[in-house]
Amino acid sequence: MSLGQNSFGSSPLSRWLGAWVWRLEHAFERARASGRAEDDTRIRIFFVLALFAAGFLTLAFGATRASLMSDAHQGSGISVPLGAARADLVDRNGQLLAADLLHYGLYLDPREIWDTEETRRALRAAVPALSPVRLERALRGNRRTFVVGALTPEVRARVHELGLPGVSFEPEQRRVYPLGRTGAHIIGFADSGGEGLSGAELALNEEIRSGASAGAAVPLSIDLRVQAALEDELYQAVGEFTPKGAVGIVLNVHTGEILGMASYPTFEPGHANTASDDARLNRAAASVFEMGSTFKAFTVAMGLDTGVATPGTTYDAREPMHVGYRTIKDYHAARAILTLVEVFQHSSNIGSTRIGLAVGPERVSRYFDALGLTKPAQVELIESARPLTPRKWDTDAVVSVSYGHGMNISPLALSRAMAALVNGGTMPTLTIRKVEPERVAKGPRVISEKTSQTMLQIMRSNVSDPIGSGGKADVAGLNVGGKTGTGEKYDPAIRGYSGSKQISSFAAVFPTDGPTSAPRYFVLILMDEPHPSANSYGYSTGGWVGAPAAGKVIERIAPFLGVQRRPETYPFARPKEVTELAGGGR
Amino acid sequence: MSLLDRKVRGFRLIDLAALGLLIVLIFGVYLAKTLAGGERAQIASVERQIKAEKARIRLLQAEVSHLEQPARIEHLAETYLGLAPVTIKRETTTEGLVDVVRTPPLAGPAPAPDRAVIAAAPTEARAAMALAGPAMPSAPVAAQLLTPVSGVAR
Repeated sequence: MSLGQNSFGSSPLSRWLGAWVWRLEHAFERARASGRAEDDTRIRIFFVLALFAAGFLTLAFGATRASLMSDAHQGSGISVPLGAARADLVDRNGQLLAADLLHYGLYLDPREIWDTEETRRALRAAVPALSPVRLERALRGNRRTFVVGALTPEVRARVHELGLPGVSFEPEQRRVYPLGRTGAHIIGFADSGGEGLSGAELALNEEIRSGASAGAAVPLSIDLRVQAALEDELYQAVGEFTPKGAVGIVLNVHTGEILGMASYPTFEPGHANTASDDARLNRAAASVFEMGSTFKAFTVAMGLDTGVATPGTTYDAREPMHVGYRTIKDYHAARAILTLVEVFQHSSNIGSTRIGLAVGPERVSRYFDALGLTKPAQVELIESARPLTPRKWDTDAVVSVSYGHGMNISPLALSRAMAALVNGGTMPTLTIRKVEPERVAKGPRVISEKTSQTMLQIMRSNVSDPIGSGGKADVAGLNVGGKTGTGEKYDPAIRGYSGSKQISSFAAVFPTDGPTSAPRYFVLILMDEPHPSANSYGYSTGGWVGAPAAGKVIERIAPFLGVQRRPETYPFARPKEVTELAGGGR
Repeated sequence: MSLLDRKVRGFRLIDLAALGLLIVLIFGVYLAKTLAGGERAQIASVERQIKAEKARIRLLQAEVSHLEQPARIEHLAETYLGLAPVTIKRETTTEGLVDVVRTPPLAGPAPAPDRAVIAAAPTEARAAMALAGPAMPSAPVAAQLLTPVSGVAR
């Protein structure tokens, strides 16, 4: 059965279409007739149709996939915190410390405003924090003007719903520090352009900025609970002793992680521009002090490590000692022959000087270099201060540094060196980053493990023994050890050391029992020019100012750090004393 | 007669089938694009919602972080619940319980109320907290940006 040309009707168009199809149909026969099978139109038509079909199939598949799939699996930036310039900062347990939050800036274009009075009234009602001066300036201007920033989505929606002509918004990211003053100095702050200016915000700037695109938070080493307890106790001590400044540091001596760092006076990172330079100064890292007697821990450790002393070696501290033009006296004059341990417990300047001189300038300078006391504390914080060190390591310098004078170092540098004395003898790398336990690298060895173990016992005896200067730091069941420090401050007015201005500190370690590899923490409390309180009987020394605060900090943070009560130890105590001490529950 | 040569009203069956397939495909592509356009608009709308919700969640997280400031919680706990930090003297392991029972109580400051006491007293305390409001700076995070919080840390 075949279709004739007439089957298409009588209209010119249908006739033309019919003729065209007819010609196409007969093309097969014409081609066959001429004997050229390769020109068979059927094959060509089939081939063209197949091509079309394949093309459309590809298009259909591609279009469907592009329409339905592509955006969905790419996520189109959903995981990224909405164009944040900086990643979140969190503590080691994931508690939020700083975040970029989406806010809006409000703009006014007076050329589009119909009713100025209505706009003024409505905006003031919707945004109470709006500056009237700024609003007036924008209303009276002749171009689009910024009026107020940092509007939350809710406030923006409230203003938007007013339907005011001439009012528009621009999204903006704002760095927010939800914890207020807590951890202000270690967290630091960033400018409105998204660049870190101090603390971790500056030290980890690149990491924080690159982390923003990945949507990953940057964890710091601090534990918010430890930080809060440290600040609370430090500020209570500040309230009692009214110093010019104060520092608190908590450190994991094995990993070098800074678990807490506080500096007084403090500020609010969210309003850093309104804080004074003094408040913004991180005294833990950026200030250097003559630490005083806490340095005797280094002197004693050097004596033990070089072999010039043992815990039982005796030193004559009956009379003031004359070295060159100087006379060395003891603050707590024992006027006795003291063992090395007693030199430490009495904080004897005379005994320390004798140990220092026995070690000698060359070895003292080498140990101080190894302990990192002659360089800025090795930590990510940019503000880590350069120490003031003796120009020449001679006898005079050794005498001074043996009891903590003649060189100024930062509290962080002191903490790092102290950690090396009590962690088995290796230098830890201080860090404000959270460190996974398996990634802790052992630092270079500075003292032997045996010396470190002995130092732990000597420091413990300074707290556990009634004659020790650190008794007020003792916490039942935690075996706290430590060293007091009271350094007289140099007063330029009198061109000499002041009798009334001091740096009082307590460098504590806990727990002191167990092997050197056991979990162990260092706590430093330091006050710059504290004043005696009603409870301190006129004293403002490290034992009265720093030790009690350190003890309170340790008592509060021990549960957070997983340090449990344990049998108390009384190293270097005579058996009778041990019985009395253990029974007395001191 | 093979299937390729069979004609319907003068047109080869294979041609008609191919034409039909072509029409179906054209219609299919049109339909897919149209439906996908609708889906895309819906996805974009959902994405906008997700973005807005994420922004809101982040704001709320910051708000929670602000409200959970340890110093603030401690102050509220001390003021309204009479709580104090738990001292190490009041902690032990299950193995150490026997020693605790045998050892006479250590002299020290008045013990903090234990958790049983806290559990028994939340109604009044929470009511007091709700009435009095937080005593520490507790401006919302957003408000902090507009109004600097002043005050001296304890």
